[in-house]
Amino acid sequence: MAPRLRAPSTFAPALLALALLLAACSQAASPSAEPSATSATSAPPSAAPSAAASVETATAYPLTLTDDAGRSVTLEADPERIVSLAPSNTEIVCALGACDQLVGVNDFRDGLPDDVLAELEDVPDVASFTGVDAEAVVAADADLVLAAGNELTSSADIATLTDLGLPVIVLYPESLAEVYADIELIGEAIDAQQDAAELVAGMQDRVVAVEAAVADRPRPRTFYEVGLFEGVIYTAGEDSFLAALITTGGGDPITGDPLSTSIQLEELVAADPELILLGDAAYDPTITPESVAARPGWGEMTAVAEGRVLAMPEDVLITRPGPRIVDGLEALAAAIHPDAFA
Amino acid sequence: MTAVRTDTLADLTDVHAGYSLPSGDERPVLRGISLAMAPGELTALVGPNGSGKTTLLRVLTGALRPWRGAVSFDGRPIDAWRRDALARRVAVLPQHLELPAGFRVAELVEMGRTPHATSLFGSTAEDEAAVTRALADADALELAHRPADELSGGERQRVLVAMALAQEPQLLLLDEPTLHLDLAHQVSLLTAIRRLRARRGLTVLAVLHDLNLAAAFAPRIAVLHEGALAADGDPARVLTPALVERVFGVRVAEAHAADGSRHLALRFPAG
Amino acid sequence: MSAEASRPAVAVRPLAGGASLTRTALVLGGGTALLGSVLVLAVGLGSVGVEPLDTLAILGRRLLGLPLAETWSPVAETIVFDLRLPRVLTAMLVGGGLALSGAVFQALLRNPLADPYIIGTSAGASLGAVVGIVLPLLLPALALGAGTAWLGIGLVQVLAFAGGLGTVLVVYAVARTNGRVPVVTLLLTGYAVSAVLAALVALLMWVSGRALAAIFGWLMGSLANASWPGLGFAMPLLAVSFVLLLVRWRRLNVLLLGDAPAAALGVDVEREKLRLTVLATLATSAAVAISGTIGFVGLVVPHLLRLAFGPDHRLLLPASLVFGASLLALADLGARLAGGLPVGIVTALVGVPFFLYLLRRSRAISPGATAT
Repeated sequence: MAPRLRAPSTFAPALLALALLLAACSQAASPSAEPSATSATSAPPSAAPSAAASVETATAYPLTLTDDAGRSVTLEADPERIVSLAPSNTEIVCALGACDQLVGVNDFRDGLPDDVLAELEDVPDVASFTGVDAEAVVAADADLVLAAGNELTSSADIATLTDLGLPVIVLYPESLAEVYADIELIGEAIDAQQDAAELVAGMQDRVVAVEAAVADRPRPRTFYEVGLFEGVIYTAGEDSFLAALITTGGGDPITGDPLSTSIQLEELVAADPELILLGDAAYDPTITPESVAARPGWGEMTAVAEGRVLAMPEDVLITRPGPRIVDGLEALAAAIHPDAFA
Repeated sequence: MTAVRTDTLADLTDVHAGYSLPSGDERPVLRGISLAMAPGELTALVGPNGSGKTTLLRVLTGALRPWRGAVSFDGRPIDAWRRDALARRVAVLPQHLELPAGFRVAELVEMGRTPHATSLFGSTAEDEAAVTRALADADALELAHRPADELSGGERQRVLVAMALAQEPQLLLLDEPTLHLDLAHQVSLLTAIRRLRARRGLTVLAVLHDLNLAAAFAPRIAVLHEGALAADGDPARVLTPALVERVFGVRVAEAHAADGSRHLALRFPAG
Repeated sequence: MSAEASRPAVAVRPLAGGASLTRTALVLGGGTALLGSVLVLAVGLGSVGVEPLDTLAILGRRLLGLPLAETWSPVAETIVFDLRLPRVLTAMLVGGGLALSGAVFQALLRNPLADPYIIGTSAGASLGAVVGIVLPLLLPALALGAGTAWLGIGLVQVLAFAGGLGTVLVVYAVARTNGRVPVVTLLLTGYAVSAVLAALVALLMWVSGRALAAIFGWLMGSLANASWPGLGFAMPLLAVSFVLLLVRWRRLNVLLLGDAPAAALGVDVEREKLRLTVLATLATSAAVAISGTIGFVGLVVPHLLRLAFGPDHRLLLPASLVFGASLLALADLGARLAGGLPVGIVTALVGVPFFLYLLRRSRAISPGATAT
């Protein structure tokens, strides 16, 4: 019969002090632990020199963060086997130099940069647009899963993976600022905060340069065609990320319904775009400025009459919220104001 | 081609007919029927269930092609007749007819004009006159605007008669027209048929199940037994107790009423 | 010929013909007037505002050749004449065609739940359309779309049309036994074939990936793809089938009596059923080809008209045509004002509850229901 332990009254203050100390340390080590929608690191139009460029910060584990879905995620240790369920997350991980830590990716490899594709050659597909193969994720022995929000990764799959004990970080950036925040979040999660800070700083500088180049120029009414299926026209939704990019790039975006992202043809005709950018031309060779001009009712638009209809092969850069989004922004701005970027 | 008697309207010569079962077997119903009807002749057709009465009617309308034998109408083989031409001459009052809901009586009777109808969208004056005549002759004129859904059994029967009459046929085939009718209506319907025959010069063949009624109604009776004609002629001569027992399996006795009319009285088995 | 036709003492008064002919004229006249108003309304309204007088003036000048001074903007003219007018006309042709076919199938099959798609048209057209959407993605080198341009429609529309028509012909052939096509067999065969084709469509959707949005758009039924060339393709097919179906009203009435009584009235029942099936399917397939599978119009409109005016096809057929046209044009107007919804959603949301309400209020008159 073991002697009863004395009541821990003696140890209590010491334990309490230790706990508070640890909490304070972790707070200090993760300044952006709540990176969702309203991030303090939003990039304002006015130039701000890239901060944190020389901060050497190592992530302390265990780490608790809040993802874009408001979920609290705890990482016990530095993840070494990462599964990415969306190409944007894949690109972020690789841009932070952790490509070799990827053990499973989503099967949609279209539009990934060649160097990334090379690194992923031996990495298996663990998900497709129909869902996540949980068994494959487990077989890959993953210790971190990067999912996509807004049901791009279904909440059922997220729940399955969470129930299996895997930390799942859900990302869904809806603005440039949120992209920066997500990069920093991943940077913190995988102990690559320095790389993240540098990456973000570089992106911010380039955005500032674009804004300076297009400032004081007249903004053409710009229509970005995301898709046209059986008569339904898909474009940038009102207040959407794409609309914001067009604005930053120096255009005046014509937007569609915020929920369906569609716009009726007569509304487009009435809005009379001065510039038409064909994002879907990147995937369908039959969509050309000539084919657009031949569409019934489109010939009257200023853009068509003046021949300002451009194919946008860079569409994947413009619509993928990852490290190359600024490449996309630059392509947009060059299309909208070619004389500013000659 | 065998010569056909030209004083007949409808003629069956040694007709064998029946049905094919889903299994592929054949079920013979009529076995060598020869029957001729002259214009204006009134004939009752009787026989036990399954003896082939309805089948015989179907052969007469061309709905069923016989396996052997010849069927002709008005001197021509029935196959040589175009459907609508034949329908302008032969009308059937079927045993069961579902009247589709929502139509008024006059509209249903007008369907009888289909084989005659030439106008694309309206009805010709001749069609309308024929419908009126048919309703009047069937004693159903006052039912003209009633919805068909609201008719009693007797009224329905009169409407069905009107529908057949609207076709303005030469040959009228009636399949058990007295089923479901009470005695008074049975008598009045058959009286009306006799009157119509006189007025319109119709040839009538009526399938009936009541032997006495048949004998009283028609001057000629044809008795079907297992697909063949057991008798064909004047009921008083032909409808003997011996025949009835052989064909129907019941014993009857001949009786004469005070006015001299003859009928058959059922003899119940003792016990 | 009857030997002595008797004349009743009462003068012959029109019983079957006269009264209902006037009623027919009234109903159809009213329906046509409604159609005209709906045309102007639907062309004049939309998500972009156009002055009503401008609308009338544009129509007057472009359609009637009236010499009116151009007081409107070219944008307004493009919207009214190049965008809305073909779309509204398409809605009318499709709505009328679906309602007319629905009425024909309901009588032919003696089934109140019949709609124009019931024996396989929508499943076959859907499969054709989905193949047309997915195939160019899998085999872009074939450039299949270019081959159909001369018809005024795309590959999807051509395959949808062929799929709808072809499927019904196959169903009809399979259901035929001993030279006859019993109604129940036709229904069941159509159901079975539709189920198989629907499974194929689902399979294609599964592998389609990026094309899923396009497939959904087509399946829900939409008039967003309407155009003058598309009308050019569908209108002759629809017009011919309309005329040939309208004149068959008498035979449809008679078919309600049953196959045997109809034959006794001189109708070649099997030939007539085939003719009706082919004509109604031709109309339905042409409609579905240019607008996708819009539901409920073909089922609900004939029923509503039957409840209101009775089952006589002399009136029911042209009324279905005219009121079906107005209904779909109005539904499409609603869809456009609601932000570009697929019109099939509007017809379902509005049409069915209205129909249920009417059904409870009046005694239902369904084809093949009997008075016994």
